[in-house]
Amino acid sequence: MLKKTLLPTILLILAYGFWVSPDFKEIAAGVSIFLFGMLFLEDGFKAFTGGVLEKLLQKTTDKTWKSLLFGVVSTSIMQSSSLVSVITISFISAGLVTLVAGIGIIFGANIGTTTGAWLVAAFGLKVKISAYAMPMLVFGIVLSFQKSKYLKGAGAVLAGLGFLFLGIHYMKEGFEAFKDSFDLASLAVGGYPGLFLFAAIGAAATVVMQSSHATLVLILTALAASQITYENGLALAIGANVGTTITAIIGSLSANIQGRRLAGAHLIFNIVTGVVAIAFINQFVVAVDAVSNSVGIAADNYTMKLAVFHTLFNLVGVLLMVPLIHKLSDFLIKSLPEKAKDLAEPLYLSEAAIEFPETVLKSLKKEVWHLFDSAFELMAHGINLHRTEILKSEDLQKTIDNDREVHDFDMDELYESKVKILYSAIVDFISNSQAHMPSDFSEELFRLRKAAGEIVECVKHIKHLRKNATKYMLSDNEHIRDEYNKLRYQIAMILREIYRLRGEEDIDHSIAILEMDELKAEIQSAHTDLDVRITGILRDDRITPTMATSLLNDFNYVDETSRHLLDTAQALMFSHSDLIAEAAQEVVLDEDEIEKASAA
Amino acid sequence: MKFSELVEKAEKLVGKYEKGRRIKPRKLDKLQQLLSDKKSRYQAKLAETDDPGKRQKLETRLRVVTAQLEKSKHLRKVD
Repeated sequence: MLKKTLLPTILLILAYGFWVSPDFKEIAAGVSIFLFGMLFLEDGFKAFTGGVLEKLLQKTTDKTWKSLLFGVVSTSIMQSSSLVSVITISFISAGLVTLVAGIGIIFGANIGTTTGAWLVAAFGLKVKISAYAMPMLVFGIVLSFQKSKYLKGAGAVLAGLGFLFLGIHYMKEGFEAFKDSFDLASLAVGGYPGLFLFAAIGAAATVVMQSSHATLVLILTALAASQITYENGLALAIGANVGTTITAIIGSLSANIQGRRLAGAHLIFNIVTGVVAIAFINQFVVAVDAVSNSVGIAADNYTMKLAVFHTLFNLVGVLLMVPLIHKLSDFLIKSLPEKAKDLAEPLYLSEAAIEFPETVLKSLKKEVWHLFDSAFELMAHGINLHRTEILKSEDLQKTIDNDREVHDFDMDELYESKVKILYSAIVDFISNSQAHMPSDFSEELFRLRKAAGEIVECVKHIKHLRKNATKYMLSDNEHIRDEYNKLRYQIAMILREIYRLRGEEDIDHSIAILEMDELKAEIQSAHTDLDVRITGILRDDRITPTMATSLLNDFNYVDETSRHLLDTAQALMFSHSDLIAEAAQEVVLDEDEIEKASAA
Repeated sequence: MKFSELVEKAEKLVGKYEKGRRIKPRKLDKLQQLLSDKKSRYQAKLAETDDPGKRQKLETRLRVVTAQLEKSKHLRKVD
């Protein structure tokens, strides 16, 4: 009900405001243009994601100070803590950044966002900012019509800045004119009631505008026009900080549990900071005066002093919270527990990961590996082996020859519950993310979809193989038993090799990709050897023609499964950001070349 | 310089950057080095092994690595 009536109410209030006061219209237009600029700026910076930003973000996970610094610098440059939050949530969801590092980035972003207040207070209100806005808009729009995504991005950033400046200009003009007709300062409320009231107004304004930055600019422009008192301005700034958390919480609703935990950290940080700022407001005022004095800010320069206050209380918040960062992370993990992980549930695919091409690919790759793991288990049982036997056995062929235990399970049921669900989730995720992907990423997206499809095919082949493999591994005819054990060995050996190459850190991925070709050639040789052997044992009546036919049919399943598994592993080990692996992908041999190399 | 020329120049620069993200000769050289090392390792192992089964596998692998090495050299030339 409230949701339904809120928007019309806001629109009606705004329309009434425009009707009675042209100055209010100018201020509101200024805020709108400012927010429009923020949207442009975010879009512009998104064009540059998929490269530098992600690499930087991934390198800031090892130390808390690095995460903090990343938060400060990225938010200062992009002037949007919400974009930094979205990127961080996206990376945590994709499992590329830890929660502790994510919290560090969010803390840093809170300091970074204070640079906006400095820019506006020191520059935006002192010079004729609209003079810079116009050329920026023109250059920005011209560039945004270009073909290259980087030029488009640069254009959007430039136009975004232009709109921000223009918005500030209108807000400034509006407040200047407004003060002649109406004195908002007469509504000032002193003491703690005023502090709480204006903090609540600041929070509400931020929730409505979805940007603490816009609220702060509004406060600064109103303060510059003496439309609010300095004390009330401080309270509004505290409120804006708390309000921005609500934006983050709304944003996290579509995120996975990691995103919600990060929003929780943001909420706790801003509430603690807000409470500390309100409780020690007098001490903060004294500290602001002292800092302002020491850096040469005039005693009556309230806009600059507000910027000092904003930085100071966020800095105090960070200093208070950083030592508790690990405890905070533990608390959030405990209070927002992850659902028990069922192997069949996608682990890395979330709406938050769709935001950026890089996280789409990374989470997708992890999910396809997850599908591979599920399929591995099913395939292992399909050939009557345990996963640990395949991975740990010292002499795999001997283990297979000796192990005659039949694994009793419903393969169809497990296929439906462990593999098909994951595969469907992957296909669904790809179709949803395709629209957001630049063309240079689509090739890898296609490769990953193909890899997922091949894994499913492999499980189906093993299902076909299972019947005869189970029957003949128990046969008293040692020749057919040996041949089927060789088929079981081939599948087990390939699975094992893929795990080895995937897991060993000292193996270069480019070499691992190429080593799959060697395995393909070995399979090819095995195929030739099998043909010769079958002809021999059939001629000597050691196996029946029915057995030979089954063996040949089943070998085709094994052959295709082996190739699919190796193709899948090659696709999963490839990364467009690893240029040597990219070169290796070009050197990978095709079917004819493999056949040629396998022939003695 | 006209603005359109400036934009064209910038696009060319960006295009060069984007193309630079494709395979670089240096990366192919590095790959060739890795493959050559591997080939030498296989040759050394082959010289030490008498087991016919192992020899057959090593020979197959050696042929694959040699083919990959040739292919990378060819790609380097074309590049």
